[in-house]
Amino acid sequence: MQTETTLAQADVSELDLVKRCQAGETEAFDELVTRYRTRIFAMIYNMVHNEQDAWDLAQDSFVKAWKSIKRFRGRSSFYTWIYRIVMNVTIDWLRKKQVKGAGVEFDDAIQLREVNPASKTLPKADPLPYERMERTEVRGRIDNAIAQLSPEHRAVILMKETEGMQYHEIAEALGCSIGTVMSRLFYARKKLQNLLKDVYENI
Amino acid sequence: MFMKTFEEKWTAWLDDQLTGKELEDFEASLPDKEAAEAEKRDATKLGTLLKQELGAQPFSNEEFFSHQLRERIARENAQDRSASGGARSTWWTVPRLVWTGAVSLAIFMICAVAVMREKAPGERSEYLTQILNMRVDPAISPNATVSVFETKGDRVTVIWTEGLQSLPSDYAAK
Repeated sequence: MQTETTLAQADVSELDLVKRCQAGETEAFDELVTRYRTRIFAMIYNMVHNEQDAWDLAQDSFVKAWKSIKRFRGRSSFYTWIYRIVMNVTIDWLRKKQVKGAGVEFDDAIQLREVNPASKTLPKADPLPYERMERTEVRGRIDNAIAQLSPEHRAVILMKETEGMQYHEIAEALGCSIGTVMSRLFYARKKLQNLLKDVYENI
Repeated sequence: MFMKTFEEKWTAWLDDQLTGKELEDFEASLPDKEAAEAEKRDATKLGTLLKQELGAQPFSNEEFFSHQLRERIARENAQDRSASGGARSTWWTVPRLVWTGAVSLAIFMICAVAVMREKAPGERSEYLTQILNMRVDPAISPNATVSVFETKGDRVTVIWTEGLQSLPSDYAAK
């Protein structure tokens, strides 16, 4: 865990990187990308359940961030700021996809499970085959349950539970009030508890 | 933290964000505290499950991701530069157009003034006017005036009369 001092140092250097980006230094932006690419890819992947789409959306988000970095005023952390871009890009994409045809995401989740079993959850030391199957199944159940949430509810629950973000940070990232965040969390949790009760009870 | 709805209070309670009087009031308002506690435990388990399963996502091909992004940004930057170059050339033609318009207008005005001056009406002939005024009878037409304009170059003479009640008997100016 980072101490307050190291966190402050990290923030200072991050601000420095942002300033260099604003001066047009692509190397500084590359450094910021390296810091956040894994978390951002994971976040998007958990929302869209398709590796290729997550890759493309993460790329789009970073390109948008680069284009608008001059407008970043430092009122929030860079992390919250870029999450806002990521969420806008991903939620827009999910809405468009829902308009085109509902239920496609389920197919993607199934495809991932069938074609590339456990690739997302495989630790370095390979688990036993039955353990792998079990984890793949659990992952599939979670993906299917999350896919039943609206894009906004997905965003809120993932930011809270997997990223450990505070209510105000989520509100900033989504451009809504803290009350809305808490209300969405309430409904997202209720739905996931119903859908995944047998999964978390058996773990 | 000011919370209005039950959903907001419940969420804050699950996440251990309620303290002091808010916590006491909320717990007192619960009809079945044991069921609520059970649901809180469920929510905690759900959170743990999500964190465990979705939290650590290995990202393969990280370097390729960055490489692809670098190339894309370089392309976008090049496009922006060419777009702003195009914009600059467009801006360059706007003042040029303005200047061309202004110069054309000035040339037109100079030509128009020159032509108008050339076509200026003939000068009033004081001498002829005096003669004609003498021939108009002041008893019949007391306020009558007669003016003669002539352009010698064009051989044109205009006689302009005002207030004439009747023509003099010997009409022609001799």
